Amino acid sequence: MAAEVQPLATLKLPTVVSPITAEQRYWKSFKNQKSHTSTAAWPISHISFPGSTNGSAASHSLVAAAKLNDLFAVTSGPRVDIFSIRKRELLKTIGRFDSQAHSGEIRADGRVLVAGEDSGKMQVFDVGTGTRAVILKTWHVHKQPVWVTKWSPTELTTLMSCSDDKTVRLWDLPSNAPSRLFAGHQDYVRSGAFMPDRNNLLVSGSYDSTVRVWDARAPAGSVLTFKHADPIEEVLPLPGGTTLLAATGSAISVLDLVAAKPLRLITNHQKTVTSLSLASNGRRVVSGSLDGHVKVFETTNWNVVSGSKYPSPILSLSVIAAGSGHEDRHLAVGMQSGVLSLRTRLSGATAEKARARAVEDALMVSGASSKLAKIDSAKAKRKRNAASNKSMALLGENVDVIIPTDAPNSAGGRKRRVKLKPWQRDFREGRYAACLDAVLDLSSPEYQPVTALSVLVALRHRSALREALEGRDEVTVLPLLKWVIKYISDPRYATVCVDVAFQLFDIYSEYVGGSSELADQFAVMTGKVSREVEKAQMAIITNGMVQSLMIGGAEA
Amino acid sequence: MVELRTPRKTSKASKMDANGETASLKKRKREPKEETTASQKRQRSKPKTQPAAANGNVDDTTDSQESTLFENKDLQTTNGDLELTDASNTLTTCNTSAWKVSNPMGGRMLDIDPIFSLDERYLLITYNTSIQVYSTEDSLLVRRISLPITKLDSGTELSSPHIVASVLSASAPEFLWVACSDGRIWHLNWATGEGAETPFTIDVKKVLDMTVESVDIRDKQEDVLFILQKLTKSSAQIVAYDLKALRTKTGKLIHTYDENPQLLRSAAGGRLIVAAAKETLHIGTLKSKGKTVKAVDDLEYAFHSFGVPDLVTCLDIRPTLQTTKKGGIEIQFVDLVIGCARGAIYVYGDLLSKLPGSATKGVPIQPRKLHWHRRAVHSVKWSEDGNYLISGGAETVLVLWQLDTGKRDFLPHLSATIENIVVSPKGSSYALHLDDNSAMVLSTAEMKPTTYVSGIQSLVLSDKPSKESLVRRVWRSVDEISTPLITTSNPTNPSQIFLCVGNGQQASSTGNAPSTPLIQVFDVSSFQGVSKHPIARTNPTDTNMTSQGAPIIEPRVTKMAFSHDGKWLASVDEWQPPERDLEPLLTGSKTTCEVSRERREIYLKFWEIDAEDNSLQLVSRINEAHFTTESETILDVASDPISSRFASLGTDGVVRFWSPKLRRKDGLASTGPEGQQLRTWSCSRAVELPAYGQLEEAVEVSPKTPRSGALAFSEDGSVLFAAYGPSSGAVVAVIDTATGAIRDTIPDLSRGDIRGVEAVSSSLIILSEDLTVYDIVSDEVQYSFALKETSEAAKQMTHLAVNRESRSFAVAAPIPNSSQEKLKKGAKSELVVFSVNEEVPQLIQTFPQVITAVLPATNSAGFVAVDAAAQIWSITESGEQAQMLQPLADLNMEESASAVAPVDHAVEDGEASDEEMQDADADVEMEDDDYDVHQAVVAPQKLAEIFNAAPAFAMAPIEDIFNQVASLFSTRPSTI
Repeated sequence: MAAEVQPLATLKLPTVVSPITAEQRYWKSFKNQKSHTSTAAWPISHISFPGSTNGSAASHSLVAAAKLNDLFAVTSGPRVDIFSIRKRELLKTIGRFDSQAHSGEIRADGRVLVAGEDSGKMQVFDVGTGTRAVILKTWHVHKQPVWVTKWSPTELTTLMSCSDDKTVRLWDLPSNAPSRLFAGHQDYVRSGAFMPDRNNLLVSGSYDSTVRVWDARAPAGSVLTFKHADPIEEVLPLPGGTTLLAATGSAISVLDLVAAKPLRLITNHQKTVTSLSLASNGRRVVSGSLDGHVKVFETTNWNVVSGSKYPSPILSLSVIAAGSGHEDRHLAVGMQSGVLSLRTRLSGATAEKARARAVEDALMVSGASSKLAKIDSAKAKRKRNAASNKSMALLGENVDVIIPTDAPNSAGGRKRRVKLKPWQRDFREGRYAACLDAVLDLSSPEYQPVTALSVLVALRHRSALREALEGRDEVTVLPLLKWVIKYISDPRYATVCVDVAFQLFDIYSEYVGGSSELADQFAVMTGKVSREVEKAQMAIITNGMVQSLMIGGAEA
Repeated sequence: MVELRTPRKTSKASKMDANGETASLKKRKREPKEETTASQKRQRSKPKTQPAAANGNVDDTTDSQESTLFENKDLQTTNGDLELTDASNTLTTCNTSAWKVSNPMGGRMLDIDPIFSLDERYLLITYNTSIQVYSTEDSLLVRRISLPITKLDSGTELSSPHIVASVLSASAPEFLWVACSDGRIWHLNWATGEGAETPFTIDVKKVLDMTVESVDIRDKQEDVLFILQKLTKSSAQIVAYDLKALRTKTGKLIHTYDENPQLLRSAAGGRLIVAAAKETLHIGTLKSKGKTVKAVDDLEYAFHSFGVPDLVTCLDIRPTLQTTKKGGIEIQFVDLVIGCARGAIYVYGDLLSKLPGSATKGVPIQPRKLHWHRRAVHSVKWSEDGNYLISGGAETVLVLWQLDTGKRDFLPHLSATIENIVVSPKGSSYALHLDDNSAMVLSTAEMKPTTYVSGIQSLVLSDKPSKESLVRRVWRSVDEISTPLITTSNPTNPSQIFLCVGNGQQASSTGNAPSTPLIQVFDVSSFQGVSKHPIARTNPTDTNMTSQGAPIIEPRVTKMAFSHDGKWLASVDEWQPPERDLEPLLTGSKTTCEVSRERREIYLKFWEIDAEDNSLQLVSRINEAHFTTESETILDVASDPISSRFASLGTDGVVRFWSPKLRRKDGLASTGPEGQQLRTWSCSRAVELPAYGQLEEAVEVSPKTPRSGALAFSEDGSVLFAAYGPSSGAVVAVIDTATGAIRDTIPDLSRGDIRGVEAVSSSLIILSEDLTVYDIVSDEVQYSFALKETSEAAKQMTHLAVNRESRSFAVAAPIPNSSQEKLKKGAKSELVVFSVNEEVPQLIQTFPQVITAVLPATNSAGFVAVDAAAQIWSITESGEQAQMLQPLADLNMEESASAVAPVDHAVEDGEASDEEMQDADADVEMEDDDYDVHQAVVAPQKLAEIFNAAPAFAMAPIEDIFNQVASLFSTRPSTI
């Protein structure tokens, strides 16, 4: 029946060129950097973590389940380091390699790890037991460095390898010989992967600039070959198994396996793209390049949605997901300089706590004890409420009627009334000058230019602009002038600022003689406006020139 | 696709006859200019096949025919007026075919207290043309007693008759006395509806007010009417009538004033009469001590008068009676309360004892002053027990004063100005009449509405000046209707019409043009307002006055259109700052008008209609859809009949096409909370229209001259017709909607400003000062008429609507009236229905009020017209059933409705009003959530949704329907 009091709606300004997008905010929230330099600053060549398991593997043992998804492997030089995802700490180092190790990969159940090395050996280690890793299996079939060893996402005993001997092989853990050999590449094979959701398909990328798709069931060579201009550094199949990314030189090509044609070439990097990783449950792709840039792409139109720069060429990266929802947890980037950078995103309750702590710290430092006390009391109240609600909930077993302690906000479907802020209350009750003072206060922690603009526009709608500006003294009029000077050049604020400026001139020009401050500010404003006018004139002149050129072009 | 490249014939309409002239249209007058036009057309068509010479001949003959017509013009006009003298009915009909006009429905509630029946089961509301009886139990209309208030022959009078009072008979509670200002008094039986045809008539200049008391005459209780009638400009008298006296037209003169009282109230069986004139109260007490009253002539009153501090706007008397020793009844004491124009309320306790014995004037009596209202008190009433006062006014707050403690209680933020408050006979509920044409019954215990009646909220021409205007204000309220009512109907929901309305009549008519920031969704089949949505800036909870006392003007919606599938709504609203604010902003030689124009805010908004609850959600707002150096007026918005697309035309001479696309944010498709794809509207194409000057001979038209224009899509959506130009010569451009190319330009189809363009099959109908029907395929004018009324006001109030189902169109225009320039009270409209292919009008109908909107009925071959009395008329081809509400009494359903069957018990209380304010998220300070106390609350349209889901043969099984209905009633009412 009766309308509810609504706070003044904030204006929605047209979006301008470079505001921080939600996506950028998300990727910026990967902070809390922890760097880890590898032994002897060996370049970090590979980072991997066991991908999502498909149920069957997850329920082997309680220990495994607890450890599941808590390990990731970082390969650098002749070492493979195993880190804990939760603690971001080095748990174990596997150093039993004769030469450069490559592609240390933990199996989905988190128990064993496979790695290749420059000598052509492939070794499987037990991750779980003891400090010194036990070698479970060694193959020495490849005669050239093995660059890729990967576990099949579906079968625990199947793995693949790619080697500089131009071959891709498929292995079964118990047997000593490869179960399949795929030959056809003309040069080193430096990347490869199992296609997800398609058991028998493998994909590999080689320095012969081709990406080949192999079918374990097909007897002959590759079933599909994509030829690129540059050597392939990395291949990354997207979930669903129909689209494939391949890093070729400084570009990333998007390949459609169903239509058997390239969809797109992404050329956002300046130097060779060395690594690709899925993020956000497969809805984003992160790429790292020798130019030191990490870029985040969305997967429908392959636009860059975010990016960041690292100090050294990037050799490997991975977005490590954890938890039940497979949320992005860490952005792990391995660099040429041997530094592993781990950036972590706090989620949910953890983030909340961290924020609260930051606020308290800041207050403690600044010595605002009264505010601190306020926060403490608010916290205590929350706790008490929670406790009393809890006790009521516990009572529920024996009593007949439970009276909830707080308002039926969610159950009754009735929203709790939004409490008006002081300036909103001032506005509603017609104390326009006070309201304006509050929203134009540049030093206020709640200051937002768009709020100030909303109030000014609303004052104009309510014919109260003059009333809000009138009757001020030197001290109270200056903030207004400063605000106008600050924003009068912004096209979104200009019309309102001009109106306010006119009104201020009209009301206060007679006092300029008596106040040097006022005179100064008016002078500053005049200067700023005349500069804007000059710019506008330049723009008009330029426009005229361009138009005459266009006419000339059209005639020609 | 309409084929445009067929060979052209240039023959003008060749057959025209003299019958076609109506009161607002006349056969097109051919002026010499017409010759040049014709020759131009010939030039245009020369390469084509038709021989020019033959055309010339045809033109000549038609010209000669028409010139005789033109000479007959004066005669014809008088004929037109003569037609109107057939006045007993509300309408004059001149039917040539099967079209017919329904009885009007709705109307506007007058500023007269609603009346409770004694058992509180019915609420009698006085409308401007009828008395409507509503059931308080289920808010349904039980009976509509139509009163023939307006006479069609009084065309030149500026003040037309109106109802001034309606009072329940004191001795026979099923009767109602209704007084009209011209001296007609109806004695209605509201339970049966009898008595509307036979009013009593008394000879008076003007009836100002009336009260009825039951007086003991010859030991029988009889109704005595006290009528306050105007004598001269500054004097009035009270005359008492009983039934006999009414028949003989000779009442008993009780008192004569040399002032001009406006209000008359009486109490205690006629023992006390109070009349209020500006700042004076006149109190009359019955002098019949001892002797019994044998006739009205025996009534004698002693009058006292005294001054009050302010202009009286309302008053209420509360007599306390006591029994005398002889068994008679006498007044023990009287408490009186008056509400005043400047916001104060004065309470006079035990007034009679303070009155001096003689009728001396100007003795100061000290009242108790209660001042909370900022503006005029519109109504003040005593509560049943006398401990409280209830008052209300333009603040939209119901104030309850506890008199002993002086404490105030509030029911704030009602939807509009409170006009009347009535306390029910048992004192258990209040009836409020609000200025937005709604009435509600609140229970006094919970302050929750139990009955809600909401009528169509369009602006009306009011009969009485507002109570606010008693005091001189810095603004002046508008006394004319200057802009048409913007209405449209949803193609998927034929029973609902959408009207652009304001926050009540008084709040919306304070600026230069009415502010209409809301859409009222009005259900024609149940005749109830369904909901209101704000579509422009409005804030009902903030004060609506500036500190200087000027009203705050809200935006005005100027155009509205639904997409073909009813999923999208496009609306245009305009606001410009009032000129009084702009003095400091003047620079150079600019006028305030120009400065105000520069700061206009014109928004084109696209709304998505929620499929479930029909709520509107803003999808895109285009700030400057059309602009040059400033925002340009959007002249028209048209909707593509095939796809979700709109076209808009602005005064910058550009047609813009708007289409939806997936909303993207930073290159990503954005999704809603449920993962659904979000859409946004953007301009998909802009087509610059050719200026008239560029076409043929270079006529220099300064860019400042006002332009007019309109848009219409062809029926298949392949072509858009855009008529645009200065009034000296508008051009119709034919735009291919697929490519945006201008296929053709047709000049000279209009005269003066473009008022509307519509397209039906191959015919293009252009309404300007002429009504022209042009065939696109054969490139010839089929027929044309000239409109007689060409004033600025008439330009605004001329409407064109096309019904594609029946291939007919309706033109409504005000009838020229020499005695008034603006369309004020008493102006009339005429509506003419044409079939597209026939030159002879199908229906010519005169309406007693100005028609403010005409729209085609959805899914049926008719039209719906809304007039300046907030009435809805349905114009249908015979055989069609108008989808309009019938009162329960007409359906013989009254008994079943009052029997308390669960389904009929659909109390409309909280639900309807909640829905009405659903945008504002209903909340009242005084109300608590105890829904359990209330019965199931189900809006009638929800039931209708279940039962009207499919035709009878395709209905769901009866169990399903039962379950649906049961779930409606069994679930807790959700707050919307």
